[in-house]
Amino acid sequence: MKRFDGETLVADVSCIVLGALFAIALAVLAARLKEVQVQDTADYRYAYSRQAVRRVQLAGARGRILARGGEVLAGNRMSVSIVCDAAAFQEKTWNATVERIGKAIDAVAEVTRKPSPLDTDDIRRHVNRSLAMPLYVWRDVDHETLARFAENEELFEGFEAVVSEERHYPYGSVAAHLVGYVGRDRADAVAGDEKFNFFNPEMRGRAGVEHYYDSFLKGVPGESKLLVDARGFAIEETIVVEPRPGPDLTLTIDMRAQLAAEKELRGEKGACVVMDPRSGEVLAMVSAPGYDLNSFVPGITHDLYDRYMSDIGKPLLNRAAGGLYAPGSIFKPVVALAGLKLGYPPDETCECTGVYILGKMRIRCASRWGHGAVDMRSAIMKSCNPYFCNLGMDIGTNAIVSAAYELGLGAKTGIDFGLDSAGVIPDADWKMRTYGEKWFMGDLAQMSIGQGMLLVSPLQMARMAGAIGTGYLVTPKLLPGTGTERRKIGFSRRSLDVVRDGMRLVVTGGTGRRAGRGLAVDLCGKTGTAEIGKGETRRKNTWFIAYAPAREPSVAIAMLVENGDSGGGTAAPKARNVLAALFGERSDAQ
Amino acid sequence: MIAKLKRFNLVMFVAMLALIAIGTIAIHSAGNARAEAVFHGMWVNNLASAAFGLVVYLALSFFDYRKFLDWFSLPAYIGAIVLLAAVLVFGSTVYGGKRWLWFFQPSEISKLCVISFMAWLFGAKREKPRTSFAWFAAALAIIGVPAALILAEPDLGTTLTLVPACLVILFVAGVWRRGLVTIALVGAIGAAAVLGAVWEAEKPGVSEERRAAILKYVPLKAHQVKRVKVFLFPDEDQLGAGYNLRQAKISIGSGGMTGKGIGKGETNHLKYLPQAISMNDFIFCVWAEETGFIGSLVLLLLFGAIVVPGCWTAFVSTDAAGRLLALGVSTLVFAHVYVNIAMSIGLVPITGLPLPFISSGRTFLVTVMAGLGLVQSVSVHREDKQK
Repeated sequence: MKRFDGETLVADVSCIVLGALFAIALAVLAARLKEVQVQDTADYRYAYSRQAVRRVQLAGARGRILARGGEVLAGNRMSVSIVCDAAAFQEKTWNATVERIGKAIDAVAEVTRKPSPLDTDDIRRHVNRSLAMPLYVWRDVDHETLARFAENEELFEGFEAVVSEERHYPYGSVAAHLVGYVGRDRADAVAGDEKFNFFNPEMRGRAGVEHYYDSFLKGVPGESKLLVDARGFAIEETIVVEPRPGPDLTLTIDMRAQLAAEKELRGEKGACVVMDPRSGEVLAMVSAPGYDLNSFVPGITHDLYDRYMSDIGKPLLNRAAGGLYAPGSIFKPVVALAGLKLGYPPDETCECTGVYILGKMRIRCASRWGHGAVDMRSAIMKSCNPYFCNLGMDIGTNAIVSAAYELGLGAKTGIDFGLDSAGVIPDADWKMRTYGEKWFMGDLAQMSIGQGMLLVSPLQMARMAGAIGTGYLVTPKLLPGTGTERRKIGFSRRSLDVVRDGMRLVVTGGTGRRAGRGLAVDLCGKTGTAEIGKGETRRKNTWFIAYAPAREPSVAIAMLVENGDSGGGTAAPKARNVLAALFGERSDAQ
Repeated sequence: MIAKLKRFNLVMFVAMLALIAIGTIAIHSAGNARAEAVFHGMWVNNLASAAFGLVVYLALSFFDYRKFLDWFSLPAYIGAIVLLAAVLVFGSTVYGGKRWLWFFQPSEISKLCVISFMAWLFGAKREKPRTSFAWFAAALAIIGVPAALILAEPDLGTTLTLVPACLVILFVAGVWRRGLVTIALVGAIGAAAVLGAVWEAEKPGVSEERRAAILKYVPLKAHQVKRVKVFLFPDEDQLGAGYNLRQAKISIGSGGMTGKGIGKGETNHLKYLPQAISMNDFIFCVWAEETGFIGSLVLLLLFGAIVVPGCWTAFVSTDAAGRLLALGVSTLVFAHVYVNIAMSIGLVPITGLPLPFISSGRTFLVTVMAGLGLVQSVSVHREDKQK
């Protein structure tokens, strides 16, 4: 009996101890749970959002590019794409999921009669890298395709038509090189920003103003949050910050001049730059042949791009700002100014016999039998080669080179545009550096008439024409209202007036007569015909530069036509028509 | 009958009903997160099982446990052994374990059968108390046979909860107590040694040869070593072996103080919480995420309101068999609760183990309710000590 009592005591104590142990153990659990659930909540919530929330950068609409009259050169249009949500095609394995998505796309393709642009690898790449994002199958679909899709939408679970914005160029190929085009980065190529997991690829300017002013035009990106499940499929999307459109960009382009120049250069290879010599505002910039900007939307096809690249006309080349040409006779005013600066008497005459002979070199004049006695004004008017060869020989290379630099040649113009060729103003140093040869008198003679190794861009020439007219060299610009940068050129008023007189004579009775015919404005100009190549490949690049009105000029123009007949016959009439668009035709009553 | 009703422990009963309600809600949440429609209605199955369990509970509560033990404990034990053997032969394999026979899991039932048999064997009034070493050896065999069969399924968790319940019974019954305590101490030291060995083998910077050399002496299978490693180094390999524990902790921790709202558990619905076990071994995470620390606390208090009154019932019982039965069942329930919750917050290594009343699984639910019915019977059929 005694022993049993002892047993009972042990058992009783055991019951109490065990109950207490249970209570303590549960309290320990509670204490640990308090740590996890109360103290460390923030850590675990962060860990949760790290794995379950994907941040997506949303592209904002790109700002428009307008001409000065408000004409839309580049805008946006609604674009409908058919996208696929991978979450609707979940399978146990990734391979099966990819296969199922592929089959579903094929099923839609059959109804919309539009073959799938994606292959299995594309789908697999999407599943591997951006599963949570919609898979863009058909971008920018046409109305018919969309109609066929919409009619059968309920059959296509997991597919959706989504609206986005695409770039649109209402004028097509007009000002193509100026406006430029956009492209989209691949969604997975924009990595580097830790903040976002995914990007809605933004349009990026790839050429022209679209490229140069890309950061101005581009929209303000927004942000959305994607909730993804453990496998990475998107469950829901919340917009955190709405994207905002970028600001519009108004250019200095005057559509009257732009369209007229486009028309004149249609079917030609050439370029035209029209600018306001007072402010530097570019009124027109044309390069021909051009290309349709819309062919780059939503993305240019490889075939077309290859065709552009292999075209001998080089349609993607911007001849106006980037093309370099021998100036030919339009360089003569530079030589004239160089001479005047050194005190060369403009009224002194020189006998033109139709050819200038320097050792074995014979430089022919436009007039076969010679112009006879010419002074500087008439030499400019008639574009007399021997006169300028003589002048050049008198004043020397350095005088011409410094005059050329003074007029903005041989250096970038400083235009707010990606392309801005400096060109070449050769001298003895340059020739030695480039060719390892000495500078000969023949080089000087060639340079005196704008031939030889001189290279200039149409933009530079328009700027130079303006500078002669105003006495100031301005920096060309594409945005109105921004400050004017200009520099007084280092030639006396008397010197300039001589050249102006000569250039006036060019259009009233000289080589550029056809440029002034019937225009409601007086202008001063200079023709140029630069010969390139010899024999079979001999071609002539024809130029006409001008400013108008003759007093207080407000417009300067450079017109270049490759493979023309002559500056006066080919380029001058085209330049005239462009100026007519700005100043009007002279009424017959006058 | 009135006297019986007076001795009916209402706290245990109400706590049990509350836990069943919580379990039904948690199963509803966990089931809805699954893609397969069959899981969406699982909470209805749970209620049906609970209703059946309630009948069993009440029947056992008002049936004298002494008679129950005398009549049924031996046949139940033998039956359990037969079923456990049958499951190894005919059972169906689910998630790598052979645990199912037709519509139930014999291993769950067998726990209660072993406990009641042990309570009868060492608690029934006899001339001579069975406290010798021979009886201890017999007890080892009695526990060992079903434990080995369960381990063969394999189901380590079930074995681990059965052992402490049986040890408590043997200790309180006084069967070879000195040896028992020694063995328990040796076992604890052994477990610590195993932990230490795995630590030495798996800590960063240990060469592959040394690791293999140490693990050769560790009596654990590769997947068990992996679990112990996750327990010891929870921050390593969070996408691999440590993924489940990591996700369990994120679920629980992100619940915060008040939780995300019932049915709004994000980690559960987005399937970060391992789907295969969110309704079973990891259901605590579902509840903790949706109701927060407050919900967890309520759950712990309710479990406390079952196991502590269970010990009280043993204390006030005038009868050794009733005492052993109440302690055994309470320990069993407690072991499940503690290991299940502790593993999901990294306090013990991950072990596949259901949480009583909350995890989905009819066999276990009915078994636990039957066990608590027996505890209630001990309470209802006790004799007043003053008599």
